[in-house]
Parts: sequence; structure tokens; C-alpha cells
Amino acid sequence: MTIRVVIIDDEPLARLAVKTRLAQRGGFTLVGEFGDGDSAFDGIAALRPELVFVDVEMPGRTGLEVLAALPAAQRPMAILLTAYDGFALQAFDLAAIDYLLKPVDDERMDEALDRAQQAFPYRGQGRTTAPAVPAVQTFSVRVGARTVLVPVAEVERIEADGDYATLHANGKTWLVRERLHTLALQLDPRQFHRVHRSSIVRLDMIAELRALTNRDALLRLRDGSVLRASRTYMPALAEALQQFNKKSA
Amino acid sequence: MKVETPLLVPVLAALPVCACMAILGLPAFTHQHGAAFRSLYFLACLAWLMPLALLQRAMWRREWPWLRMALVLLSATYAMSLLNAVLGQRLAISLGLETDYRWAELVEGLDGCWLALIAFCAVHAVAGYYLSLQRMRLHLAQAQAAARDAELRALRLQVNPHFLFNSLNAISALVAAQSNREANRMLACVSDFLRATLAHDGRHEHALAEELALLDAYLEIEKARLGERLRLTMKAGPDVLDAVVPYLMLQPLVENAIRHGIAPLAAPGRLDIRVERQDARLLVEVHNDGLQPAHVGSGIGLANVRERLRHLYGDDQQVEAGWGEDGRFGVRIAMPLRAVEAAA
Repeated sequence: MTIRVVIIDDEPLARLAVKTRLAQRGGFTLVGEFGDGDSAFDGIAALRPELVFVDVEMPGRTGLEVLAALPAAQRPMAILLTAYDGFALQAFDLAAIDYLLKPVDDERMDEALDRAQQAFPYRGQGRTTAPAVPAVQTFSVRVGARTVLVPVAEVERIEADGDYATLHANGKTWLVRERLHTLALQLDPRQFHRVHRSSIVRLDMIAELRALTNRDALLRLRDGSVLRASRTYMPALAEALQQFNKKSA
Repeated sequence: MKVETPLLVPVLAALPVCACMAILGLPAFTHQHGAAFRSLYFLACLAWLMPLALLQRAMWRREWPWLRMALVLLSATYAMSLLNAVLGQRLAISLGLETDYRWAELVEGLDGCWLALIAFCAVHAVAGYYLSLQRMRLHLAQAQAAARDAELRALRLQVNPHFLFNSLNAISALVAAQSNREANRMLACVSDFLRATLAHDGRHEHALAEELALLDAYLEIEKARLGERLRLTMKAGPDVLDAVVPYLMLQPLVENAIRHGIAPLAAPGRLDIRVERQDARLLVEVHNDGLQPAHVGSGIGLANVRERLRHLYGDDQQVEAGWGEDGRFGVRIAMPLRAVEAAA
């Protein structure tokens, strides 16, 4: 069963970018495209798509206004697109499942589409809940002719490295031949969290979190490493940290 | 004294002199005609103050030497005192105390008036000199600040475009090679970096956390470019993320390390960035692998950083750069540790 998608953006090339990515993945059917807020509102009401990609800044009604104007029951899953701004909090209030900064790279787009597919069966039950994919206990890493098993519990963070990923565990690094977003799906979301396009951290490794003026944040881990947390992940990260602290308190 | 002092200065300078004359004159009021004479001298002196002040200011404007000014003022005040004495004799005649002017006694008892006028000139000169000195200092400080600001701005601008065009060139190469995914990833990274620099409000300094985030955004581009060949660690000690550092201080150093150190290497190279506190100092270290060049040169990036640190912190900072015994290039910066204001 495919997810029916509508794309709303006033720039044709921006719509093309989303369309091309959708076409490369199975499971999604494009049912409509709109170039402004007003026609998008009518279009969503008529087509009843399950997922919309919405540009935030548009002539007429903004993307957020379009979503807010729809009755909650009719509101499709939304992935917001924006070039330069700070709408994350409002976006999460409208239960948008993701929020992307343009230009969007493939990694980030794939993750957004993963989220949509995970959330799809649970639609209408409020916020997206974690899918029941069993979390893995070890990663097997090939080093030359050997295969090394790295226990997930020892992994401190994972970094994207092109189409591969680097595991950081006990001061050592291991190259895994998998992309970051596929690894993310195999991890327990209560312990690990995506903080950036290119990194996942274990929550108990975070020693300092400092908010930045552009709404991103800088994390300092217990081993002194510093890395950025993107604003598009901040609300979810804050929630996860809260849950984590409750659990460990 | 080129700077004009306001007209309020002679008025203020006259106040203490007038007050002294009034107090010294008080005992004379018990004598029969004392009050009349004292009042006359007082008013006469007061009347002289205005032309005297104007004369003094005119000489300042022409920038006469001090000695000449002193001589002119001494003779002018002496002449004024003589005229006061003539007025005194005139009063005596009209009161019937004297019958005629006694020119021989004219130069006696001039001291009261003359000293008062000299005192006024002295107070006026000191006040005027002090004020103009203050103003000159202020102007000088303002001019220096403006020059420093302009220079810092120029130094900062050297950083950005250079890097931007290099990245665009790399993306262009990826597109030409039809590496679409990589080209897209690079574009997203460059956008991240631009977003971060655009969020900057033009201050010359910001928090270390902001600087490291900016550096991380930059490094992501270099990681995309170099892939496996760049082995990176970026570490910070506790309680330094709020420390104030110059805007874009690390990026040119790291760009140097990669461009001149790691990029020319055939094997993967390590780049280690470390920031920590040492008492009241902030230590920033960048070490990288590289091939020691035949000629010694530290590049524009390092010179730029040195200049900006010198501008911002004067002698309270040290930059050391060079090849270590381990065969790696290192830059070590020590600067004052200061936290950003909580309101920021």
C-alpha cells in the first residue's frame, strides 16, 4: 500500500527536487502539486492525501496557515520545507512529522520519508510513536577479513561517512557499511538519538548542551568531543533527554 | 590648543575668583567708605573678566606660545588694574575725601585687583587646557576604535568568499562527475555553513560554542570532500563553551591545516582540535599531519588570525605556530578567558 503525497511549494524547481526523490523510492504516489497556499488548501480537501510536503514561505497563505486551517482529523502527515527560518516549534505543535531545511540532501530526505512510513500505520493516533522494530544488540563490522562484533551498549556515537557510518566505541572507531539512517532504525530510540544529518549520539554521553543563537545547539560529550545538534532535531532531542532523565532519576 | 572650549568655562573660572574677592572684602564693610571702594573694585574687576576671557581665547585659537600669552596677559591685567585705581581715585574725589588725582600714588595698592585678574587667567587656562585635553583624548580613542573596527571587518571578510568559491568549485566537480548524492550532500553542508554565518550579527567576538558549531559546519564540507583521508577529533574541556573568542578564528587555521597539511598527503591525515582552560587563560590548539615544506611560510590564514587577536587583546594573547618534534604542524593560541554575558 502506497502513501498518497501532495507537494506544495511556490517554486517549480523545489517541487521537482521532492518529486525526483519520491520517484527514486517505492511506497509513495504523487497525487497533486500546488504553487500557493489557497489552492493547496482546496486541493488537500479534495484529494485527501496522507502526506504533504509543505513550503513554509509562500504567497497568500503560508504552509503553516494551510495546515492550521485544516480540521485536525483531516490534517495529513506533514513534512515542512523551509529555506531560512525558525519554525521548528510551531511545526511540531502542528504535529508535523519532520521539518527540512533547503537544500535537502538525500540522507535527510530519506530519513523524513522513513518517518512518514513508520508513522503511517499509526496515523490518527496523535503523535508518531516509536515503531515496533526490535533494537539490535550488536553491530557486526568487517575489518579486512575479520568480522568484529561491537555491542550496541558500547557505542557512544555514530557518524555518517559518505554512504557508510563510523561507530565510536571505547575510544576506537569502526567503519560500518551501512548508511546512518538505516542504522538509526535499528537503535533503541530511548537510548540513542539522531542530533544531526550526520550524527547519532547515545543520550547518556551528553555532558553539556549549549543552545546557539541560530537555534541549533552544541553538544559536548563526556569524552570531550563536540558536535552540533541541528534545530530540526532539537524539540525531539529535548523530549528524549527529559524521558531519559526521568528514567535514570 | 586647537579644540574650542565652551563659553561656560570662563564663567566657571570666574566663580572662585569672585568668591575670594567677596570674602576678602567682607571686613571692609565695617569701615565708613570701605564698602563703596570694595564694591567699585569688585564690579570693575568683574567687568574686565569678559574682555580678558575673550583675549585669552583669541590667543588660544591663534596657538600663541605660552610665554608670549603670559606676557600679554600680565601687561593687560596690569593696565586693567591701573584703570581700576584711577576709578578708585575718582570715587574718592566725588566722596570729598580727596581734592584731586594723585598720579604718583596710582601704582600703590594695585595688588588686590591685579592678583585677582591673574588668578582668573590661571584658572581659566587650566580649565580650558584640561577640557580640550579630555576632548582630544576622546576623539583619538574614537578614531582608533573606528580604524580597528574597519580593519577587523576587512580581515574577517578575507575568510569567507575564499572558502565559498572553493566549495562551489568542488560541487561543480561532483556535478560534472555525475556524483549526484555527493553533490547534494555538499550543497546541504554549504547551506548549513552559510546559514550559520548569516545568523551572525556582526560582532567581532562570540561564544566558543558558536565558533565550534561554525567550525563543525565547515568541517562537514571538508569531510565530504576528503572522505576517509581526513581523520578528525574536535574536543573541548569542561566549562569553556561560554568563553568569548574572535568570530571565525578557528576556521582559517583549520582550512590551512587541511589545504596545506592533509590534502597533499597520499595517506589519511589526522587533524586534532582541542580547546581547554588553564587558570584564567583559554588554550586553543590545532595539530595536523603534513609534509614539512622546504620553504617556511605560515600563510594568509595564520597572519590574519594573528592580526585579529592582536587587535582585540593587545599583548594579552600568544600565537605559536610551527612544526613539532613529532613531525606534525601545530598552532597554539593562548588568550584571556572571559565568559559571554548571560543576556546574549
